[in-house]
Amino acid sequence: MKAGSNKYTTSEKKPTAFGTILRQASVPLMFIIICAFCIPIAGLSPSYLANEIVTRMGRNSFLILSLLIPIMAGMGLNFGMTLGAMAGEIGLILVSDWQIVGIPGMVLAAIISVPISILLGIFCGKILNKAKGREMITSYIMSFFINGIYQLVVLYLMGSVIPIKHSSIKLPRGYGIRNTVSLLNMRQKLDNLIAINVSGIKIPVMTFIVIGILCLFIIWFRKTKLGQDMRAVGQDMEVARDAGIDVERTRIISIVMSTVLAGIGMIIYLQNMGNIATYSSHSQIGMFCIAALLVGGASVDRASIGNVFLGVILFHTMFIVAPRAGAYITGDSMIGEYFRVFVSYAVITLALVMYETNKRRAKSESSRELRAQQDADEANAAGKENV
Amino acid sequence: MRSKRQILFRAGALLIVLLIAAVMFIIGRGHTVYFDNKTAEYNGQEYEAFHKVVVTVDGEQVSKLGKRDRGMADTMGQNFVMTLEITDEKGAQPHSHKVSMSLPYSMDGIIINIPELMAGLPADAYLSEFVVAPVEETESETAEGEDELGDEFGIGGDV
Repeated sequence: MKAGSNKYTTSEKKPTAFGTILRQASVPLMFIIICAFCIPIAGLSPSYLANEIVTRMGRNSFLILSLLIPIMAGMGLNFGMTLGAMAGEIGLILVSDWQIVGIPGMVLAAIISVPISILLGIFCGKILNKAKGREMITSYIMSFFINGIYQLVVLYLMGSVIPIKHSSIKLPRGYGIRNTVSLLNMRQKLDNLIAINVSGIKIPVMTFIVIGILCLFIIWFRKTKLGQDMRAVGQDMEVARDAGIDVERTRIISIVMSTVLAGIGMIIYLQNMGNIATYSSHSQIGMFCIAALLVGGASVDRASIGNVFLGVILFHTMFIVAPRAGAYITGDSMIGEYFRVFVSYAVITLALVMYETNKRRAKSESSRELRAQQDADEANAAGKENV
Repeated sequence: MRSKRQILFRAGALLIVLLIAAVMFIIGRGHTVYFDNKTAEYNGQEYEAFHKVVVTVDGEQVSKLGKRDRGMADTMGQNFVMTLEITDEKGAQPHSHKVSMSLPYSMDGIIINIPELMAGLPADAYLSEFVVAPVEETESETAEGEDELGDEFGIGGDV
């Protein structure tokens, strides 16, 4: 038997298939345990809980689905989705001022947000191409940078340079947008377009149809030439480049697509909420969408549509029950609030640590294999010389 | 040749998007329509307010107006259809009228005086713009201030 034929030496334990699955599913399992523990303590009625989860699925799924394409292209978790969220908000602010309401208002806001998202996506993609291997931290910091520009536009240019007519939107000083912009004329218009009630649970069918269309698009897109190119780039950039794929362009397209989808997702999100917190709506959206995706069992380099829905259900169940459970256990509902915020950040940290550990493990395994191969070759050469 | 076709397709797609945007602008324009059941004067003639008016829009009763009352309804688009169930005097039999009209695009809030409308007067008589009275506001509202509404993420919230 050749020395290099066995991947693992006797001193190392070979991970079993069960062990691998357990490691991969550790985050969802942890959340299932937390939810199973908190749900009875919280004492919420099943119909209330189901109603809240269904509402949040409709509200968040589109945004989280926008994260899948950059992961496919090997660019990790796109913290830059915030850029798209800002574009969506700008669209909604303008549409509110023009008094375009209902579904047409949403469509118009999406049409306005798309070119802004494309420009921001191209900018983001170009920067990320210069920071290969550090896309996540770069996109995270870039979201802060673009937030500054967003604030400049919304706080100083809107009303002075960009015409804003209505005093309900404009700050009393004559320029700048108020902290909160009402979307009452648009509130839940998509959700209520086709809504059915099943034993007290309101199901926003139209919103789910839109989400379903995006899911089908992602499935179809994976099979296209561009989708295959993205997967190839995600697996190995150098190999993809040798195969004639324009790696940089493919990466930019993936970020542009994600940003555009995030913009539309933000519009769907805010129509459900019924108002925009102008200066803070977008700031946390990336963080919580990424946390939800990771809770669903995704990792930095692997995510599926199933992870999105599992993540939304588990993450938001935890969000709904944690304050009540916290209040019951400690007598202070703030503990539950802190707990769920803490868990959101913790799950992202855990996923990043696991990703880095797995990457290092894979690297050390491949170097070990290479060394064993070299030893075997040397032994063969020595054997031939002796003969 | 291919690039020419590509440019043509892109221009076509852009045109379609712009067309959709234009259609959305027209069909999505929101108005707040106020209904006044008030005695009004036009060209020296007085038009008496009705005893009771019930206003129904899209099959939903939006206002029940007595004399000198005002009701309102939010509407989308330029065509506005309402059903008025009018009782002229106390104890009289109510009579129903279906009224459809075109709303001016430039006005956000529109006041319709029902007695003048029912008298068949021209639009400039029964229709006027609702102007919000200016309110003295303090500049206490800051960009990133307190009292922000929102969900647990600080992203939005019910008003």
